[in-house]
This record gives sequence, C-alpha cells and structure tokens, in this order.
Amino acid sequence: MISRRLAKRILDVLLKSGGSFSEIYIQKKISNTVKLENSRIESSISGFELGCGLRICFDDGTFYAFVDSLDKESLLNAARTLSLAVDKSSGGKVLDLTSQKSPYKVKIKKYPSTVIPEYKRNLLVDVDQASRNYSSYIIQVTSNLSDSEEEIYIANSDEVLCFHKIVRTLLTVDVVARRGKDTRTGYKSLAKTCGYEIFDSISPNDIALKASRIAVNMLDAVNAPVGSLPVVIAPGFGGVIFHEACGHGLEADAILKEASVFKGMIGKKIASEIITVIDDPTLTSHWGSFKFDDEGFASRQTVLIRDGVLESYMYDLKSARKLQEHKTANGRRQSYRHIPLPRMTNTYINKGDSDPHTIIKSIKKGLYAKEFAGGQVDPATGDFVFGISEGYLIENGNICEPVKGATLIGNGPKVLKKIEAIGDDLDFAPGFCGKNGQTVPNEVGQPTILVSELTVGGTGI
Amino acid sequence: MQNMQYSFLNNNEKSGFQLPELCKKIAGNFNGRDVDEFEIYVSRSVQNEIEVFNSKINTLSFSDSTGIGIRVFRGGCVGYAYTSSIREKEIIDCIEKAICNSKITSKDELNSLPRESEFRYQTPYILPEDLFKENFLEFGIDKKIELTKELEVLVKKKDRRVTGVDNLIYNDDLSEVAIFNSLGFEGSYKTAACVVYVSVISKENKDVSTGDFFGYARSPGDLDLEEIAENAVNRSVLILDGQKIKSRRAKVILDPLVACQFLGVIAIGLTADRVQKGKSLFKDRIGERFFSIDLDIVDDGTMPSGMATRPFDSEGVPKGRTLIFEKGILKTFLYNSYTARKDNTKSTGNAVRSSYKSPPTVGLSNLYIVPSVDERATLQGLLEVSQDGFYVVDIMGLHSGTNPVSGEISVGAKGMWVEGGKFRFPVREVTIATDILSLCKNIERIGNDLKFIISGGYIGSPSLVVNDIMISGI
Repeated sequence: MISRRLAKRILDVLLKSGGSFSEIYIQKKISNTVKLENSRIESSISGFELGCGLRICFDDGTFYAFVDSLDKESLLNAARTLSLAVDKSSGGKVLDLTSQKSPYKVKIKKYPSTVIPEYKRNLLVDVDQASRNYSSYIIQVTSNLSDSEEEIYIANSDEVLCFHKIVRTLLTVDVVARRGKDTRTGYKSLAKTCGYEIFDSISPNDIALKASRIAVNMLDAVNAPVGSLPVVIAPGFGGVIFHEACGHGLEADAILKEASVFKGMIGKKIASEIITVIDDPTLTSHWGSFKFDDEGFASRQTVLIRDGVLESYMYDLKSARKLQEHKTANGRRQSYRHIPLPRMTNTYINKGDSDPHTIIKSIKKGLYAKEFAGGQVDPATGDFVFGISEGYLIENGNICEPVKGATLIGNGPKVLKKIEAIGDDLDFAPGFCGKNGQTVPNEVGQPTILVSELTVGGTGI
Repeated sequence: MQNMQYSFLNNNEKSGFQLPELCKKIAGNFNGRDVDEFEIYVSRSVQNEIEVFNSKINTLSFSDSTGIGIRVFRGGCVGYAYTSSIREKEIIDCIEKAICNSKITSKDELNSLPRESEFRYQTPYILPEDLFKENFLEFGIDKKIELTKELEVLVKKKDRRVTGVDNLIYNDDLSEVAIFNSLGFEGSYKTAACVVYVSVISKENKDVSTGDFFGYARSPGDLDLEEIAENAVNRSVLILDGQKIKSRRAKVILDPLVACQFLGVIAIGLTADRVQKGKSLFKDRIGERFFSIDLDIVDDGTMPSGMATRPFDSEGVPKGRTLIFEKGILKTFLYNSYTARKDNTKSTGNAVRSSYKSPPTVGLSNLYIVPSVDERATLQGLLEVSQDGFYVVDIMGLHSGTNPVSGEISVGAKGMWVEGGKFRFPVREVTIATDILSLCKNIERIGNDLKFIISGGYIGSPSLVVNDIMISGI
C-alpha cells in the first residue's frame, strides 16, 4: 500500500526524538450494509475508509496519531509532529523489514464485491417472509446484511512487515412477536470471516426461523425466579459467561494496571480440573479469526486455563514487553483510528465428556439458559452479569416453561470453581465486544455446562 | 509540543480547507446525475486523548479526521454512501455508490428531504459561544496532561483505602459539521467539548471495590476536578465489604446516574421510528397517564448548557423543545422529517446520526426529567421520607439486562441498605428487576439533584424513589 522505502523512512522519523518502538498501521476498508425493516429495504449503505495510524512507544507511554490518507507528505508530516511529542535525546534506526508468515490460511470463494445488490435484497426479502410465515404473532422483522473487505498493512521498528486481507460477512435477524399485551423479541446472527459462501452451508432462512422461534416461545414466558439456583448453560453463546466472568480479567492490560482478580495467579489452580479454556484466532473462518493480529503478529492458539490451572494471559505488544512475557496474538484494534489493546479472539471452554441430557436430568430445580443478550464485567472485582434472552425452568430433570427477564449475577473466580459438569457438545457463537470505546468482532464458545449455584435476578418468587 | 492540537488544525486551514466550501465542491459533482434530490453531510473532528496511569502518560493520541456522507433520492427510493477520503476520485465514487444503492431500496413516496413547512419549531437562537468557547484553544496539550495528572493526585489523597486508579482518561473533541442539500439548505456549526473519566479501586480487609465518575464541559478549564474526584472515590469506598442480601420486594432510591441510565432505556421507545414499527410500549397510547406522579419529561435541543444542543439536527431541521410527558401524561413522540410525514405531523428536529457513516434516524437531544423544585428533595431528604429501602449507587449490565421492546428490566446493582432514613450497610452482587411500565408507574418521588450523562443523547434525571422493585440476592 506504501513502498518499503517510505515505510522505513516513516518508522525512522517516528523514532527521531526517541522511543523504543514505532509502527505504521494502514487500513483500507470497503463495506456495505443493507437493512430490511417493516418488510421494506429501508437502507443500503456503502462505505470507503482509508487511513494510517502511527504509533511510538517509549518507557511507559504510547503516542498515537492517524491520517485519513496515504499521501506521502501527510504521512511524513504526521510522523514528524508525533515524534516531537517525545522529548528524549537519542533515536533508533530501522535496518530492514521482513515479511511475516502466518499458519492461518483461508480461501475466499465469493468476495462481497462480486455479489450483485439484487441478491442481497432478495436474501433479506426471503428472511422477512420466512420469519413472518413462522407465526402470525410476528409483527416486525429487522434484518441487516453487512459485508466488508479490508486490506491491512503493518510495518514496525522490530523489522516486521505484514500485509493481509480480511473479508467478513454478517447477517442479523431481530424479530418482535406480540400476543395480546405481551411483546417478546428474538435475535439470531450468522457471522464469519469469509465471503458469501457463508450461506452455502447455512441458509439465511434458518437464522430467520431460529430468531422467530425464540420470540414466539418467549410469549409463554413466566417471571424468572429469584435467588440462588443451579444453572445449566447451553452451548454456543453461553460462552459469554466465560468471556465476562474471566476472559476480560485475563487480558494483560488489566494485569498491568493491577485491576484484575487474576493477577499473580499464573500456575495456580483457579477452576475445577474439568475446565480447559482456549483463545484461538486460527479456527477456520470463525468470526474472531485472522492471519495476523493488529500488530502484525502471526495468529496462534493460546491455552488460557489447562485442567483448571491458569496458564497464560492474553497480551498485546506493550503489555508483553512490560511484563516480560511472550506476546500472544491478542493485539487488536477497531480501526486505524485506534490504539491496539489486548483483546480476546475466539475464546471457548473446551469440550468435556458429560452427556448434555444427563446434565439436565441431574437437576431437580434449576434454570436452563439457552440464549443470551450479552453481559458486563468489572475485572477489578470479578463481579459480572449477563442477561438471558431465552431461558427455561428445569424441574425434576425436565426442561419446563420459558422464563422472561432474567439476569445472572456472580463473581468470576467464584463461579469458575462452581462449574461441576461439562458436556461434549462444543459450539460457538459470534458477537461484538466493546472495551475502552473500541468494538471488535469476536466469538465465544462452550459445550453445555452446569454451574452449581448462581444468583438469578427475576421478578417471580 | 505546546500547541500541538492547534497546529494540526492550522495546517489544514492554511490549505483552504473549509467545510461549507467542500460541500459546494462536492455538490458540483452532481451536475447531470440522475437524482431527484441530494444531501451532503460533512463532519470534521479534531481530538486529543490522554490516558494517565501512575502519574505517567500511558497513551496520548491526536487525531484530525473528516468524513463525508451522501444521501440521494430517486423516484421515492433512497441511497447512502460515505467516505473518509476528501480526494475527488473517492468523492465521485461515493456519489455513484449512493445512486447505485438507491436502486435496491424500497420505493416510498414519503422519502424526501425536509421541506420548510415540515418543521415544528423556528430556527432557535443559539449563541455560537454556547457550543464553542474560544478559550478551548488556549489549552495546549501540556495543560491538558497536567489537568489529567492532577485528577489522579486528587483521587489518591481523598481516602486511605484508595489503592489505585485503573482508568483515567481525558478526551476532547473540536468538531465542525456542515450540511448542504439540493433544496437550498446550507448550514454549519462548530462545537467543542471535553470529558474526563476516572475509575477508582479501593481495598479494605481483602475486599476490593471500584467506583467511577466523570465530567463534561465545553472547555477543559470548566471541568470541576475536585467534584469528580470526590464522587469517584465515594462511589468506590461506599461499597467496600458489600454483602448479598435476602431476596425481597422493596423500595429503591436510584442515584441520578442510575436513573439516567433507566431513562435512556425508556426514551428509546419515545422515538417515532420505534413507535411506527411496533417496537415501543408507548404505541397508540398518546394521552394516557404512565406516571402516578405529575412528572414532566422534556427533550430540549436548545438549552445552552446541553451537550446535545445544536442549531439544527442532522438533516438541517431546527432543534426545538418538546414536552413528551406533561404531568405524567404522554403528549407526543420525537420525530425526524420522514417519521413526521408518516404520522401527518411536523418534525421536532430529532434527526440524529452516530457519525457521517449513517443516514439520519430519530434520536434524543437533551432529554431529561424536570427535577423537583422542593429544596427538601435532596438525596438526604429522599432517604428520610423513604425510611427503609435500597439506595442504588451503580448498576451493571444495562444493555444485556433491559429490553426496550418487551419492557423487561433486570440488572446487577450495588449500593447501600437504608433503614430509618440512614445508610446501614453496603450491598453488592444483587439484581434489581421490574419492567418499564411498572417502573414509570411506581416512581413515587423525585429529587432536585438533576444530573446528566451522555448515552444516546444527553440524558438527565434527578434521584428517583421507586416502589415495589424485586431485589434478588441469596
């Protein structure tokens, strides 16, 4: 995207007045979103973004600036201005740049740019009809079809040079069902780092039907119970419990700031021995996968917890340097306008050996949490919540009536010790994670798990 | 580096970079294009962000970015495209993409630019200096860094139980917006704002607690650091050694910042777009009483102190003041021009965009619950009349625990248990649950302590006393 010579020159200019690291991050992103609501194609939006982020690291600090162009003079100007912010005596020099290799290979079959707009329109019209045909209670369907093609170029003073492309396709379906005075919603999404071949194996209408099924089922919901109960969490999006309860506390910036309950726990047993947790951006076409992280580091798997013992945190370059650890592939950013941070990729609890049915059968009175609306955590205390969007009561080993309005609340380190059974039915679900004002795509995953006790925040007694 | 932000700005101004002129230049590219109407939205934003940790700069970032959003109307169909590049090639490409997008959207006779006869309010008189204070530019980057560091010092010496500051961020934004449309509307304005946020960790007897606070102002000098430090520390140490309580129904006293978050969820259902699509609990219910007490809720896009105040909305319609609830009764919804046409009414000037990347939708301006004028309605006064209950100082999981369509509310909460009008002991790891309509109905008292947060719009509420909330704990 820029010549190797210019890249070296910019990296040198950045270090002119000092600093131990300089970096160029260039991103070009072409995106499209078509939205259906009220059975109409309400909008179709196309975007073009091109820009470059420049970074200098020194001692404890990071300086960052970006420009919305790749014009040589603008880049050099911004580099000079930024370097002036560092007032150290001596600067470094970049000798060479070496192209990086990644073990992650993916072949895109249908690039979004080759898909005609009419195909997208028809796909959404079908989604709308499939949902509305599912039940006459469905009064509204909102569906978004988004795609993006990105090119990313990274060069840094550690002599790293990398260039890669990333293609993403996302379909979301929101359904509203109404019966009498009761209104309920259902949501389902399909998202992968690939092109329109995403729909070769899964039909958009399946997503529509799943969202519709949730909304209609929930029309029969009773008030969720209150107090402590055993909770069986279904595979897939249930993984958001680990994401919130522990995942954020294992991101190394929280460790650096002494704002994590997991600080100083490496090598210690923090969970029951049936638990192994992995962060893996190399899973083919998953929503949180990539060839290189946003600091040019080749993607690789990191085992976070092995058999209940904490094995690793997730690092970006800065936190790995400061804590004198090896970097993991977790340096991510929303765009060239943002500073990289340690972030999860595809993070999941690995499968165990219990039969999911047996797990449910073992519960006399409890809650079955099937789909979730997301959650939030305070990494410093480990306190977390997550909202159930589809849940059921379990009575005498059977899944019974649906419940509405239930949030689960707990404390990460305590909950890890209360996971008593892990199923063999691992599944994944895509989502977006927000932290420090930056949103990145990531995926959660888990098999069926049993938490012996969690506080359920309903309104029913 | 004294005036880095200033120099970034000047660099471009020297090269004759003015938004209204840029709009006109772009409009020139529409000559001979097959469109009925078009609109050009250009925004430019110069930002500084400073993050301090342990009295050192952790990150310092500078940015100056411009974006262009183009909306076209063709035969009742609408198309949109945006670009972050001001190069002619990309702008032409953007126009062509917008036109191309209009070929697959659904035809709707109501799709068009706003007409002058469609505004509910006249152009308000908003002083440019209410939105942009000249002294904003007097603050160089060094002064801003000093200010951020000072806040950390203030926080750390407030209370011996404070052990760290895990997040301390200063951010400011000098932005300019220009809109130009083919019906002859041309307008631009400049705003400046800064925000500082701090999150405090405190420890006692092995228990850890966090609390945060923030401040917004039009100029860094107007930030009240002392007040921000005081609040953040209090919110952190107050909950130390908090415990779960037995599940029960009880009265809750919501801190203004918590009340603002709930009001934000209620307000989602007050935009006409949601109502018309059946995604609001308030649909078909104009004239009904939702609050037991005589409470007023106003959306005022013109109040001088409001961070969402603008001369016109994101499609060029003048901002106004809309009384949504009067004495507890629902009077109207918030409209942009499209939704107003649909309901055969006039726009309230509530078209919003999250950035140049989105076409205008309907949103909030400065939306608030009009506070009590009773001087006894302080937090202390409310606790005394309430006698027993749960004072909620912070909530967690608002986004995942509330559903503005179905009305469900269930969120994590922490605060103090109140008995006989006095704080008894701290409470944490419990949830509070109700639903939107019950929440409205069960508000029995409001405070005189109006505070605002930025969440969707600029949302304000005083403390609220709410009856009959389910608390779930042990």
